[in-house]
Amino acid sequence: MRNLIAFLLRFQGVMLFVLLEVVSLFLFVTNSSYQRAAFFNSANTYAGTLLARRTQVTDYFRLDELNKQLLADNAQLRQQLYPPDFTRRQADSLPVGRDTLGHIIYRHLRPDPSQALAVGAAGLSAKPGKTSVPARPDTLLLGGAKLATHDAEYPLVPARVLNNSLRAVDNYLTLNVGTADGVQPGLGVLSAGGVVGQVKSASEHYATVFSLLHSKMAVAAKIKRDGTFGSVKWPGEDYSHALLDYIPRQNRLAVGDSVVTSGYNAIFPEGVFVGTVESFVKEPDKNFWTVHLRLGVDFSRLTYVYVVHNRPRTERDSLETALTAPEPAPVKPAKQPTRPRR
Amino acid sequence: MSVLGVLVRQLLRFGLYAGMQVLIVGQLPPLFGLGWCFFYLGFVLFLPLSTPISLQLLLGFGMGLAMDISYDTGGLHAAAAVLLAYLRPWVLRLLTPRDGYDAQDTVNVHQMGWQWFLVYLLLLVSLHHVVYFFLELGSFQHPLRTLGRVGVSILFTSTALLIVQLLFFPVRRSRS
Repeated sequence: MRNLIAFLLRFQGVMLFVLLEVVSLFLFVTNSSYQRAAFFNSANTYAGTLLARRTQVTDYFRLDELNKQLLADNAQLRQQLYPPDFTRRQADSLPVGRDTLGHIIYRHLRPDPSQALAVGAAGLSAKPGKTSVPARPDTLLLGGAKLATHDAEYPLVPARVLNNSLRAVDNYLTLNVGTADGVQPGLGVLSAGGVVGQVKSASEHYATVFSLLHSKMAVAAKIKRDGTFGSVKWPGEDYSHALLDYIPRQNRLAVGDSVVTSGYNAIFPEGVFVGTVESFVKEPDKNFWTVHLRLGVDFSRLTYVYVVHNRPRTERDSLETALTAPEPAPVKPAKQPTRPRR
Repeated sequence: MSVLGVLVRQLLRFGLYAGMQVLIVGQLPPLFGLGWCFFYLGFVLFLPLSTPISLQLLLGFGMGLAMDISYDTGGLHAAAAVLLAYLRPWVLRLLTPRDGYDAQDTVNVHQMGWQWFLVYLLLLVSLHHVVYFFLELGSFQHPLRTLGRVGVSILFTSTALLIVQLLFFPVRRSRS
């Protein structure tokens, strides 16, 4: 026993060192998973309060810049209120290529008018049967996608960025909203410029967000012009650029194409701006284009963001889990018989 | 100095270094767009020479964890800071003066001399930064860019800590 104690005392440094290293490496490696209490990150109450105080102080030194940003956002919103005459005129088709005989192939952008009306009515009013469209829909233009601002079930939560890192391999943001404001882990975060990230964890008044500038973050996106699906990833060099992966080599690309979210991963609504194509290279050993994007959001001066709920998400998740679950639980035939069939 | 006095003094130092890091130094723009200042390392580096190894490790871990919480890095800062605290006694032993350390010796550029201090600072800061940046990347994929970040950060951190030494550390030995 005495030998044991002597041994422990003699090697206390090494043993404590190994123990602490194992603990810290465990915390580091599991950092990217969601199932962590909000204590070990900046959504923690004490860290959050400290960061909020810091923001209060530093804001005084950049009031000018903040005002300019808000002014720019306002201008964008006002432009939406007073549209020019030709905003409603869209090309109903675009030439996308030539077939083998040399005829131009057109891609029709809009479906049948009757169909479009039905879809539009269903989208704007939740209740079926109510066909009248409100004169001025209560929406907000965020990164090119219109989102409802007032929806009791799915609120759009405005937030202030308290902490923002750019230089790390995995970057995170801290926001001043938490579960008390309806923020839940997994929700998307947007700003006026486009996609920002996804909520990692939330305490009562603060939330930590995976920035788009995170090595494990991927956003399901598509090229707006022809609807090709891809995935936006950050390669880790420069906070103003990202890569668009999985665009097949045979596709035609153009510099300046807008890339928007596809709505496939149910975090972001469809059509939110991500960035524009800046350059593209065909590399000999890859099946896909290497596409460089210029991101729409300037992460170095991110101030105000919005946490967004994608409406059909809960429904979709439950449907997808039901589809992929090996043995689905027996579904109660609750309302099926009562609904009259036509 | 009494035990309570030492405790209060070290707690104050902890708060000062952590506060400076989170509130001011961490907000500085990166040097040459690459380097970042690890100002909080001063807390571990300038601990008294006679601090027991386990206490050093725990203090390093605590400081690293505080930084991890502020910067959402999980346990990255803690892992590197614990390693730094573990290596510190080895480096101190390596740099022992000819007649050993005096009882009242501290890590102080005025008392230990420029040569001693610079070797001590650069050696430990370099080891820490190499471990930190390669651990953060999780691979050796972009060696040149990472080495660039390591190099510029070493410059930034060392300069900041040297300034702290020159400004706030006593030129004369304290009679304790």
